[in-house]
Amino acid sequence: MKQTTLRRLISLGLLLALVILFTALSGSRFLNANNFIDIVRDASVTAIIGVGVTMAIITAGIDLSTGSIMAVVGMTMANIYAYTLWPIPCMILCGIIVGLGCGLINGYIIGKLHVPEFIGTLATMSIFRALTYMIAIRDANGVIQSQPMNISSYAVLGYAVGYFYFVVIAMIVFVVCGQIFLKYTRLGTEIYAVGANPKAATLSGIDVAKVKMIVYTIVGFCCSVGAVFTTARLQSATTAVGQDFEFNPIAAAVVGGVALSGGSGDVVGTLIGALFMVTLENGVRKLEMNTAYQYVIKGVIIILVVMFDAWYKGRMDRIAREKGAKEGVSA
Amino acid sequence: MSGETILEAKGIYKSFSGVPVLQDVRFEVRRGEVHALMGENGAGKSTLIKIITGVYSKDDGQIYWEGQPVEIDSYQDCQKLGVACIYQELSVIPPLTVAQNVYLGREPRKGKFIDYRKMNEMTQALIDKYDFPLKPETVVDHLGIGQRQLIEILKGLSQNSKLLIMDEPTASLSGKEAESLFRIINTLRSEGVSIIYISHRLEEVYMLSDRLTILRDGKNAAVLEKKDIIPAKVIETMIGKVVDESAGSKKQLRSAPNAEVRLDVRGLTDKSDRFRNISFQVHRGEILGLGGLIGAGRTEVVRAIYGVDKAASGEVYLDGKKLDPSPKNSIREGIGFVPEDRRGQGFIPLLSTTKNVALTNYDIVKTNKIFGPAGDLATAISDSDELAMGKRAIESIDIRPADPEKQVGLMSGGNAQKVVLGKWLMRDLKLLIVDEPTAGIDVGAKDEIYQILENLAKEGVAVIVVTSDLQELLRVSHRILVMRKGDIVREFKNEVVTQSRVLSAGQGVAEEAEEIEKAEEGET
Amino acid sequence: MNNINWGKYSKPMILVALVVALTVLRGTTFLSVGNIANVLWSVSVIGIMVCGTIFVFLLGGIDLSIATLCGFCAVTVVEVIHYFHDTGLGLFVGILAAIAVGALAGLFHGFIITRFGVPAFLVTFASQSIFQGLSMVVTNNKIVSCTAPAAFTAIGSVKILGFPLPIYFMILMALLSWFVLRKTVFGRYVYSVGGNATASEISGINVKRVTIICYVLSGVTTAIGGIILASMTQQAAAATGSGYTNDVITAGVIGGVSLLGGEGTVPGAIFGAVLMGLLNNGLNLLSVPSTQTGLVKGLVIIVAVAFDAMQHADQSRKKVRKVVKKAA
Repeated sequence: MKQTTLRRLISLGLLLALVILFTALSGSRFLNANNFIDIVRDASVTAIIGVGVTMAIITAGIDLSTGSIMAVVGMTMANIYAYTLWPIPCMILCGIIVGLGCGLINGYIIGKLHVPEFIGTLATMSIFRALTYMIAIRDANGVIQSQPMNISSYAVLGYAVGYFYFVVIAMIVFVVCGQIFLKYTRLGTEIYAVGANPKAATLSGIDVAKVKMIVYTIVGFCCSVGAVFTTARLQSATTAVGQDFEFNPIAAAVVGGVALSGGSGDVVGTLIGALFMVTLENGVRKLEMNTAYQYVIKGVIIILVVMFDAWYKGRMDRIAREKGAKEGVSA
Repeated sequence: MSGETILEAKGIYKSFSGVPVLQDVRFEVRRGEVHALMGENGAGKSTLIKIITGVYSKDDGQIYWEGQPVEIDSYQDCQKLGVACIYQELSVIPPLTVAQNVYLGREPRKGKFIDYRKMNEMTQALIDKYDFPLKPETVVDHLGIGQRQLIEILKGLSQNSKLLIMDEPTASLSGKEAESLFRIINTLRSEGVSIIYISHRLEEVYMLSDRLTILRDGKNAAVLEKKDIIPAKVIETMIGKVVDESAGSKKQLRSAPNAEVRLDVRGLTDKSDRFRNISFQVHRGEILGLGGLIGAGRTEVVRAIYGVDKAASGEVYLDGKKLDPSPKNSIREGIGFVPEDRRGQGFIPLLSTTKNVALTNYDIVKTNKIFGPAGDLATAISDSDELAMGKRAIESIDIRPADPEKQVGLMSGGNAQKVVLGKWLMRDLKLLIVDEPTAGIDVGAKDEIYQILENLAKEGVAVIVVTSDLQELLRVSHRILVMRKGDIVREFKNEVVTQSRVLSAGQGVAEEAEEIEKAEEGET
Repeated sequence: MNNINWGKYSKPMILVALVVALTVLRGTTFLSVGNIANVLWSVSVIGIMVCGTIFVFLLGGIDLSIATLCGFCAVTVVEVIHYFHDTGLGLFVGILAAIAVGALAGLFHGFIITRFGVPAFLVTFASQSIFQGLSMVVTNNKIVSCTAPAAFTAIGSVKILGFPLPIYFMILMALLSWFVLRKTVFGRYVYSVGGNATASEISGINVKRVTIICYVLSGVTTAIGGIILASMTQQAAAATGSGYTNDVITAGVIGGVSLLGGEGTVPGAIFGAVLMGLLNNGLNLLSVPSTQTGLVKGLVIIVAVAFDAMQHADQSRKKVRKVVKKAA
């Protein structure tokens, strides 16, 4: 327990340090209630998708196709919106089904075809993006249009009740359910087992391929929910939805202490990581710095965190080994 | 204490590609006993266990569980009966807690959710019952190997297993951890749990077991009751009472007088205490056999000499010159190394014979320097010269198929091993270290490999052979060192040595065995 | 010998089949010299890059930063040319600077991967963001055009014997890379480390050094690709080279380079690049928009890697079957 608690404290410390830094640099422009509400709102989609990506990383995998799944889902709904009179819930349902399907495809490629996770999802990233273009809404001349989706019964999903945007409520639901799922269900435990020691998991009767397929399908589900809130907030769907997005949930998970070697981390950590990433973006904006610095800082932070984790893990393993050898069973 | 028969295997036959591994083996375990299973490497112990646990199918014979005939086709089948196997390679999941590991896949639930409180209570109850030094909520990550092994045992017990199979359970345990395990085994026995205990270590078997089954060459050699378990007798039974010289169980060792010292190892000590203060010498033209049980530290010592692993302290001299051991330096100074895990460490499966042979020899393949300092990476290879080297290797040690372009990954074990050896024959060697050189190789290729080693020795190369095969050890060695628990415990030199003497030394029961030896010699 | 390696012959056959199919579908347009030169021109940058990244693939590693590093190097060369344009040394310094950037990036990747044991895809995934950010910062998020000096624009556009210069660069790089991989000790070591790192270590190979050099080579060829791309388009921006990561990986994979390491050749990779160019061009002539070729590329990667992975699985399964057979 101590090791994971310490890692959680480090994530929180990073977040706090960032808040203090931006407060010191830009004062009340950064440090005010409205801005914090904005930050939480902006972090929500990353955190929702982060729930799924966290599970993928716990199985020692990765998903690089999340942004593209969002785009396909968004464009599916845009088509239904533009060409049918189906009710909004029905449209959303169709979007979610497509998202689940995309996730299942990833899961099949990884679980059954044994393609390494990062290669398989790198490929589906371009496949899903291409599919988005293929089903994009076009005008009479065949030029791709952005499809407005501003009917109030849909756009309301981008609004807030009091201080709480719907997306924030959804995010809370996802994080709580995700955490409970991982920690309190058999399947959750199996996800950790698959990531930490697939051989042992198999010996214990766990179907590794099945667990992976379920996990990537969950990622697809999270992406489709993310796409719903993103398009509702934009009140339109374009082919660019989720472009370069895949970076965010992975970065959030890494900062939040989900180890890429698999078997450890949790959804709450990813939430902290998502808040960290968005606070960074927000602060850079408030400082009126070139937004490009975000990319540099994000990349540097990921590498630093990963380096730290690698070093820290090596150290802890060594200590555990030495302790084990010295004290023996009687410890 | 021990009661009725719980498991009985009768008339078990098993052969692999026509070679009989088990012949009419009978094995019986009673309730609440610790039943040891011993035998030399290849005697058929692990095959028998794999048949009992459903990993292999038997050719003939019948297994009875609590008196009823049963068919065991998978590990799941044997678990259902109440047999649990504690794997040598541990199968615990580090980031989970002790309780989560014990009940993995069988977690008690309230509705859809895992009932952690109940799970922890159940685990605690088990722990209390058998008095294990564990807590249900500890994350396994922080535990040592010994404790992890206890979790595996606990897992078996939680499934109400009546029979636990432990395969070399102390192989990677420290002395303290092992003692603790022995206490637990005694507790389990008093609770009526039966244990099959497979070990090379006679002292453990002697201390723990109620009965002992010994296999030799795939057949029952003996079933001994506790009172009959006498180390010297056990060793004799394991090896067989063949005092015939030609069978390779006895040999007159001869060291050449006044040979120059080639390798001088002084006070070599391991970082993780797998061997300590190792000092010995190897002479020109001498084949030194390094014997002892698996896990005695032999492999670790030779890896440290060659420089794959760094030793904590100690020095290595070759022809009087102090070495800074690393694979690269060792190769440059004329040391060759054939590792034990051929496929994992010995060769590059995707590459051809030629390229595998040439891999360590680009300093002697005719090359053209393109730029930069001598040799090294930026040199162009003469393809024809490289191919010639491949062909030379194939011819000199008869590698088959004799195709220099053949991928080594597709070749048989014996030929792949010749490729691994072959690359060292292309150089001027001073010392060659081979670790388990003939593991998994057929008899014909074995002899060829012995021939290669002997020829090298004739040319003045010093050879160190690490082997667990006693017959092989006697066959090739001019002198024998035996290691036990990280120390060199015995040297056999210019004397008649038998398999039992070597085995006794490795087991740490030297005196008694040698007394028997002397008595026997007296008789004859 | 009776075991004909169909994998070896399947590639040229695919190429022939593709040319035939596209010729039939589109008549003469496809087979015209102009179009062929066009195809080669369009794949030359990918061809050049794959000459370096193949080293990384052979190790079983990957470089996800190709696209943004290419962009950053393009930006570097253009900005340096602008900065030094009075001195007349701009082009020379610019090219040197861009190559240095590429080499340093590779060194950085290699160092982090070998020193900390971090997976390659993650390091390069993170650094891709860094390079993108740096390009945006340097260009202030604008497209920087560069039409002078003439020598610079000539790199990408001058034609010799009807073929543009970049094609010759590609051939030169391919020859160099082929020579290094096929003929030098280093090349042998790359295959050996990719095939079995532990055995290589025991054979006295400095695995870490070989790994770092491979990533540096990947960085350098990416930089050269970036320079040529900037010259071809006479401009540079953060988005220069976007999509090239997938293209380079696809080219390698089509060309028989195993992303699991240890297998692949430079001619194969170049072949893959050309095939992909043909594919792009053919799809283009068939009026399939470029945005949708990603579908084909993605499928190709999955099929090829799944095939590799299945073969690996098959081999181990065969072994099991052998054992089972033995057991039976």
